[in-house]
Order: sequence, then C-alpha cells, then structure tokens
Amino acid sequence: MAGATIDHLISVTVFLGAILLFISLFNQTIQTAIVYQRHRYLATKCSDLLDNMLLSPGNPLDWGKQNGTPTSFGLQDPEFTQYRLSPFSLMRLNYSEGAPVYYSKTGQWYSNLTMGFGQSLLVPFTEAINYSTAAKLLGINGTYGFSLTITPIITVSISEIQPNPLKLAVNVKGAGFPLANANISYCFITVEATGGEQSYPSYTTDYGTNCTDEQGASVLSFPGFDGTQESYVLIAYAHMSGLVGVGYHEYLRYYENYVVPFISDFATRTVLIAHSWDVHGGDSPAEISYNATFVLLTEDFTLREVPLDNSTGRVGKINYGEGKPYMGITIPTYNPGLLVITYRKSAQESGVVLMPWGISSMGFPVSFGGNSFEMEWVTTDTRQVLVNGIAYQAMLALWSLEGYQVIS
Amino acid sequence: MMRTIEILLVIIIITGAFIIASIYAVLPSPRQVSPINLRRLALTTLQTLDVDYDLSETMFKSSDDPAWGQLQIAVSACLPPNIVFNLTVYDVMSGGTQLYTMYKSISNAESLGIESDAASYLVASSNVTFNVTPERIGEHGGGGTLYILNCSDANGWWITGYTAQKLAEDLYNLLSPYFQAAIMVQTTTQLGQILNGTALQGETLQNAVVINTFGETVPIPAGYYSSSGVGYDATHSSYAMYCYRLGQRVRQYNWTWASIVGWPLYYVSNTATFSSRQNDWGIYGMVKVREPGLQAFLQGIDNQAYSYENSQTGSPGVVYLSSGAQYYCNYYGIYPSPYQTSTRALSASTMASYHLSVTTYIFNQVGDWIPGAVYRHAVSGGLMALGLTRTPDIRLTALGLLCDYKPRLYRSEYSAAGTSRLVILQLGQVGGV
Repeated sequence: MAGATIDHLISVTVFLGAILLFISLFNQTIQTAIVYQRHRYLATKCSDLLDNMLLSPGNPLDWGKQNGTPTSFGLQDPEFTQYRLSPFSLMRLNYSEGAPVYYSKTGQWYSNLTMGFGQSLLVPFTEAINYSTAAKLLGINGTYGFSLTITPIITVSISEIQPNPLKLAVNVKGAGFPLANANISYCFITVEATGGEQSYPSYTTDYGTNCTDEQGASVLSFPGFDGTQESYVLIAYAHMSGLVGVGYHEYLRYYENYVVPFISDFATRTVLIAHSWDVHGGDSPAEISYNATFVLLTEDFTLREVPLDNSTGRVGKINYGEGKPYMGITIPTYNPGLLVITYRKSAQESGVVLMPWGISSMGFPVSFGGNSFEMEWVTTDTRQVLVNGIAYQAMLALWSLEGYQVIS
Repeated sequence: MMRTIEILLVIIIITGAFIIASIYAVLPSPRQVSPINLRRLALTTLQTLDVDYDLSETMFKSSDDPAWGQLQIAVSACLPPNIVFNLTVYDVMSGGTQLYTMYKSISNAESLGIESDAASYLVASSNVTFNVTPERIGEHGGGGTLYILNCSDANGWWITGYTAQKLAEDLYNLLSPYFQAAIMVQTTTQLGQILNGTALQGETLQNAVVINTFGETVPIPAGYYSSSGVGYDATHSSYAMYCYRLGQRVRQYNWTWASIVGWPLYYVSNTATFSSRQNDWGIYGMVKVREPGLQAFLQGIDNQAYSYENSQTGSPGVVYLSSGAQYYCNYYGIYPSPYQTSTRALSASTMASYHLSVTTYIFNQVGDWIPGAVYRHAVSGGLMALGLTRTPDIRLTALGLLCDYKPRLYRSEYSAAGTSRLVILQLGQVGGV
C-alpha cells in the first residue's frame, strides 16, 4: 500500500515537473516565432514607409519652399517623378546631429548642420520640421520610431599637396569603389583682401575640368597662386555614368571674426548675415566687411556665378554686440546653388564661408529622426535617390515603440 | 512503480514530440527576417544611372566600348560593399519564338550568394522615334468628316476672351488627326451650302460632326435660311425656326451637332444681315432667339412639327468628369480640369421626350440635369452639349467627341527589334547569416 502511494507521489511529481518543463520549452519556441514574425512585419513596414517618404512630395507640394508646416510629409521633388528628392524639403528638416545654435539678436534657436568651419546650414526651429511633427504626419507617432539618413554616394575629398604653387589632390570614391576616369569640374574662388580698412573683400573665380585616374584621384595645379598668402575655396563636382558627387576644400587665413549665415525665410529666400562673436563668442571681436555671391551647378556640370544684386545686400559691414544689427541678403533663385561669402578684417586677414542653398549643392548628408539606442530590433532599408542630380543613398532605420519587449 | 514507468514513457513521448516539432519548426535566418529590399535597390540604382540617359546610351554601344567598363565602375561605386551584382543586357527580338537574346553581361562576383533579387529596366535607343498613329473616324464605315464653323461673317457669345476663329483653329489642331477630313466652314454661305447638302471639298456629308465654335450663338446664312417661314418665325418675330431647320438637317444627314458651351442656339449671328442689330449686350450682328432656339432644334431632330416653345436648362454648379471621360483623358492625353461649373445643363427627361438617349456622359449627371453628354436620336442625328459656364475649354469638346467615337491609337512598339534593350540588374548580399 505504502509502495503504491510512494509510486503515485513520485510519478505525479515527475509528471508535473516534466509538464512544466515542456510548457516552458514549447512556449519559448512559440514566443521566438512570434517575435520573428513581428520583426518580419517591421521590415515590410520599413520598406513601405521609406517609399512613402521618398515617393510623395507631401502637401503642399512645394512645402520646402514655403514657411508653414506641411499637412502631409514627403520628400519627393514635386517637379519630378520616382526617387528624386527636393533639395529644399531636405533643407527644412530639423537635423538630429549637430548642437542647436542660439542667436540672441533674433531670439531664435537654429537647427545646425555643420560640415566644418565655414560650411554650415542653420535653419530656424520655427521653420524646421521636427521629428515628432514628421512622425505625426506619417501616422506613426507613438507606434514606430525612425531615423532617416541621406548620404551622398560619391565622396569627393580634397586635400592640399603643396601650398606654393598650390596643388590640390581630389579623390573620388563611391560607396564601395573608387571612381576611375570620372570627369571633374571645379570652381576655384580666391579672396582678395586688398584695399584700405574700409574696403570690401573682392574675389576671383576660376573654372576648370579634369579627369580622375584608375585610383579615382586627380591633381589640380594652380601655378602662380600662393596658398599661404590668400584664402581660397575649391568646389569640385565629379560625374561619371550618371553618378554625380560634390566636394569642397578651403583654406582660410583668418578665423577670429567671420560671418555666420542663417536661413531666415524660405518663402522670400532671405538669409541673415550675423557676426560670429554674437553666435559663437571668441576673442578680439572686430568689425568685418563681407562680399557675397551665388554659384549654381548647370546641367552640363559646370559652375556658374549668379551675382547678387547690390540692393539685396551683396556687400556690407557687420559688427558685434548690442545695437549692431545683423545684415540680410536675398538669394536670387530657387535653383539650388552655393552662397559664397568672402569676409575680411584687413588686407592680411580674410576668409570665406559657404552655405548650401538646396542641400545637394554641397553634398551635405542629412540625418533626421529619433535615436534607436536600446531598441530591441531595428530594421533598415535602402534606396538610391537623386537630389538635384546628385546621387544620394537614403537609408531608413525603423523600430517599434509598441508591444512586448520593444526595448532591450 | 508502474505509474513511474508510465510517466517516464509519457516524458519520452513528449520529448520526442518536442524534438520532431523543433526539427520541422525551422525559424528563418536573420537575413530572411529583416531583408534589404534588393529589388527596390536594384531599380533605384538603374534609375540613378540613367538620370541623364547615360545608361541608355551605354546599352547601345558595341560590347567592347570603354563605356561598359565605366558602367561597371559606376555600378560598383554606388552599391554598398556587401552587395554584389550582375547586370545583363538583352536585345529585344521580334518575329521569332525567342523574345530576348543576351547582348552583354557584367558582374563583380562569381556568384550572387544564397539569395538575390533583380529589377528590370527597359531602355530605348536615342536613334529611334516612337510615335502614335490614330485611327481615323469613318475609316471602317461611312462619314468621317469634321466640320468646324469658322465663319468670318458671324460673331460668338459666351466664348469670352476667345474668338470663334481661334477656337476653330485649336479644335482643328486637336481633332483633325482623328477624322478622314476636317473642314473649316469659313463663311455663313458655306454653312448654307452644306445645309443644302452640297459638299465643300468633295467630302462625305453624311454622318459628319459639326462643331459650333460660336458658343451660345449659331451662324445663320443670309437668304433662304433667314427668310420668313424657313428660318424666321414671323408670328413670334423669332429665328427659332432656323434652329428647327438645323435640327431637321442634323436628322437628315445623321450629323452630330456639337455645342461647346452654355445654352445651345440662344442667339443667331450674321454680321451682314444683322449689321444694325445687337444681342442686348452690345454685340452687333447678332439677334437673340432665347429659350425657344434649343426647343425648336430638338423638335427638328425628332421630326416633330415646329412649335414656338421655351426650353429649360439647369444650374447644378460644380460638376465632375465621368469615369469614362477620365479614362479617355489618359488614353488620348487630353487633360482638362476634372471639375467644372455647369449653369446650362440640359434636362435628361426633356431629352428623353425627344427620343434622344445619352451615348456618352462627359460629366456625371446631377439629378435630372446632364452637364455634358453626347446624345443620339433613336432614328438619326445626334447632339453634343456642354452646358458649362463660360469661358469654354475646347479640350472638353475634343474629349467628348473622342469618348463617343473612341478612335484607336496605334503606338510604335517598344518591343520592336533594335529599338529597345532590356537591362536586368541582379543583386546579391554577401557576408552575414
């Protein structure tokens, strides 16, 4: 009798233990399958969402050239079909990288996309579309998080080989391969800080073409130009078999005081010219004079200067501190190009800053969206896109904000 | 002890079940769970490379041209390092059983890994012109003549901003390719000639289309058609009887009369006959017929006795192109605004009472009002009326007629040999699991 009871107890205990173990094992398998299924769905959603962003111009169609908030989000260039993005819609995004800049004279914060000294794009928060607004317009607010990265496919890097006479090395690379035998067209701008204290800086522009070798490299020589004595900037476009990329390089003789361009109004194409001391502070503030010009890329890949009208503030002087107002200039066109502003304090102290008008003209990368840090699963998808003829790669990272264990 | 053994057996069975389930329930690899959309990547790569038609140009170059090497570099350069490709170009054949033959293939890897996807892209040669040849109305039957009233001795009304002559010219350009013969009726005398059954240039009179470009006005020939008892109703001092005669001729010759805007046949015009008379709005050479004009026309087309009665139109407001019209917008490449304002829509019940039935709706019907349609009489003749407010959009007239006659368009074939090449870009992913 006692043996049967013990037998019964042992068997029940072992049975219960085994059942619990197997439930746990089966449950784990099912749970893994559900999670895999959810990840698969997320990948499909990512592809759909990326196409939604890239194949729709949003509403209004030209919201990139206006000031208001769009009622629907899309980055396609309304003048084209397929994967062609508007360089101006991309300009209106609140970039996720780069610390915001505050300018006390307008009392506004600015979204900051800076690629180096004197190469920046500053858009007021009031005009920029932020991440949460975009998520709401896309209908994914609170359900999915995303990060959109749009980077140029072609990298054109320029470095100085020797300053006098100036020789510059241009290297052209794709995402996975150097671009051999690519054609290069360039614009070489030199700042001439001649004249007395009250003079405005002048500049000279020189245009040319070249070709890369098997390694995707090319050497540009400027005989008679001493790179240690004058500030200069080189903008180079590389193109081959439909692929176009842009790069730039500058050498500045004077950094202490310079001009900082801020986008003021997209609809009226107004740009503010601020004194660097009012924005970034620094030592030895002083009045500087400036001279602005606009350069655009033509369809045959050459650069063409579009002089600004004098009435739009092409030249001026700017000072720091209270009671010294900022200046303003008007971009003459909605064609993407480069705003080139030369500045000087004295005949020996000069420099140049660049601002893209249309994100593609300087090949600026765009990073927009949230942070996927600590998210359990992030899926990505990629498309090749064109922004005003410049080849870019658009990558969307998407993660879920709803459901069980979405944060690892 | 027996129960313990039984339980052990149960555990063995469940373990077996678990193992078998685990063998068959194979979970996908991470790459399959969250794949890069290689098809889209391939398509967008081809589109990027063809932005300035560089890709199209290269495709038609000889297979040993250096441009192929540049293309290979460009494809490699724009794809991520972990993506390998195979780009194959096919020549499009015609006639035989084989549609495509391989022309050239370039690749940067021996194989494309376990999984790959491809996109296709058709490129056209820059040396070939693709064109469209329309079928001509009347080609396979009678008729096929288009008369456009372009009378220099008449004035128009409700064609504000245009002249009838300008509209006639535009209509000629739009519609003449679709008809056997397109003839401008230059004077009211010529109009009288065709009303009398005499061809102007040897064309077929029967089954023709007559477009009145004068808006709410209709040109009236001097003489017979303006005379009392023929075109002039002396009892009511009205030229409504001329509209009646028009209706009769439309029935007699099986014409389709097209009114491009407003209330059809509201005025008559002849700058010589009515040189001292005006239409109450200061336009000389024109006389008001008012509402009885349309009614008399309908009586004529229905072969009823003439009776001086008012017609009616409605004002349904904003109206929209019918789905059929929208379809033919794309087919013929004519794109007027899809919504218009209608203030002179004809009544469906009235038209039915004259045995006119709608063969083509240009705009959607609103209640009893038909803003724009082509009507056919049960016996002979037809009417196209666009009861829209001024100013007229003659593209709607062209669209309405084309919707009704539906001439086919013969397009050059992109698949003809030598004109196109098919590019297939196949992408594969390397590395990872």
